[in-house]
Amino acid sequence: MNEKVYGARCKDCGKEMYPAHARCPECGSEKLEPLEIAGQGKVLTYTDLYALPLDYERRYLRLAIVELDSGLRATGQLLDEKPKLGKRVRTTIGVVRQSGDRKIHGLQFVPV
Amino acid sequence: MRKVGIVGIGQSRFGIRSDASLRELSFEAAKASLDDAGIPLDDVQAMVVSVASDELSYALQPSAQVVDYLGFNPKPSFRVEGACASGSMAVRTGWMTVASGLADLVIVVGAEKMTEVSTAAVTDVLGRAGDFMWEYPFGMTFPGYYALIARAHMAKYGTTEEQLSMVAVKNHHYGALNPYAHMRKEISLDKAMSSFTVADPLKLYDCCLISDGAAAIVLASDKLAGSLSKKPVWISGLGLGTDTISLSDRRDITTLDATVEAARQAYDMAGIGPKDIDVAVVHDCFTIAEIAAYEDLGFCAKGEGGKLIEEKRTYIGGDIPVNVDGGLKSKGHPIGATGVAMAAEIAKQLRGEADPGRQVENARIGLSHNVGGNGQHAAVHVFQVD
Repeated sequence: MNEKVYGARCKDCGKEMYPAHARCPECGSEKLEPLEIAGQGKVLTYTDLYALPLDYERRYLRLAIVELDSGLRATGQLLDEKPKLGKRVRTTIGVVRQSGDRKIHGLQFVPV
Repeated sequence: MRKVGIVGIGQSRFGIRSDASLRELSFEAAKASLDDAGIPLDDVQAMVVSVASDELSYALQPSAQVVDYLGFNPKPSFRVEGACASGSMAVRTGWMTVASGLADLVIVVGAEKMTEVSTAAVTDVLGRAGDFMWEYPFGMTFPGYYALIARAHMAKYGTTEEQLSMVAVKNHHYGALNPYAHMRKEISLDKAMSSFTVADPLKLYDCCLISDGAAAIVLASDKLAGSLSKKPVWISGLGLGTDTISLSDRRDITTLDATVEAARQAYDMAGIGPKDIDVAVVHDCFTIAEIAAYEDLGFCAKGEGGKLIEEKRTYIGGDIPVNVDGGLKSKGHPIGATGVAMAAEIAKQLRGEADPGRQVENARIGLSHNVGGNGQHAAVHVFQVD
């Protein structure tokens, strides 16, 4: 497994973004390069979903928005039995959804 | 540009309408709006249709079903979309068609059929209105998005779960008085608070309904409006704002900047401010959404939305009555119909024709606020009578 998640960095003004845009929201430049989204951060908000969409056979699903130390924010699954606002977590990548034989990889957060 | 007035309004009953198809629901609403305007469909020059989702109705080009069934061929018609704000996009497009002089008389029809697929499937389809690549794949749903907003709002401003439930109690109170509403029953605060968790901290009664339904309005140019209606309802301000596709990418997760922007545009165009509004319908897809709307529309300061409902200032008799038709919460939310139904409700209020117990006396200026997705789009319209 060597999956990674990428946002983008503007080559002209250095603005970092996630998700990526075609055009820098800061300076308008179209010169953007991939930026790996990984590292530590803190839980900004989270929820436990009990009314689940298709593809999920479980009791609930815990999702969060995390503010990374870089200042970027990312949504992902929170793998933490004791979630709390402000708690330190780090990113990892795992299977976040399985639809038939199709596995979707994405960001997950685990306690530091 | 020419002034544009609403001269006819119509709505189907909202609810689980297994008795009617998408086209039949559309006919119910369109027929009622034409009868209200006192004109035959033959006089109408263009039709704008709002159906938000192909996947809920299993139909590509659902607007063609509506146009054909209503008997409108071969005149111009097209469909617009913006998820749950599709209806307001259609109102805006209808307004543009008349204001520009392209047509003098336009009908706007919004409809959605949502109850023929399972709740899990509806939940999944609506989840795709958010960031399809970077948020939806995690299992994100619409209750999930608004739950993330709610927890952040509670942490930042001290908004409570009781205050959220109070929004539901108000909207069910007024929805019970609305014959077109999906769920016509009062609920107690205790019942709302003890309902099961959908997406923590949101409970069942914090969530709007999944409904079938349709709404229609007839729009006319200024001269025609005056001759067709004793009390045309003028659309005097329109605003449309947009924001990031990912919720995580927002400037502030507790604010819908698209709403703030749309409101600024609409107030500027109408030359009024939030204090001038006599009656409003706002996008209460979840109770937290109504509280955030109070703030983002300027009905109160940021962070004070919870207090506004707790002090009952959004009931009739308060500073600014909000969702006295039951809102999406109790009236129902057939997504393509909602924005059109909002315009119809405000027109009804400004004409003084709302049902007993939910008419705002002497209302002259009204506002509608309709959100697409979790704030990727927001439309705010201001309506006035002479």
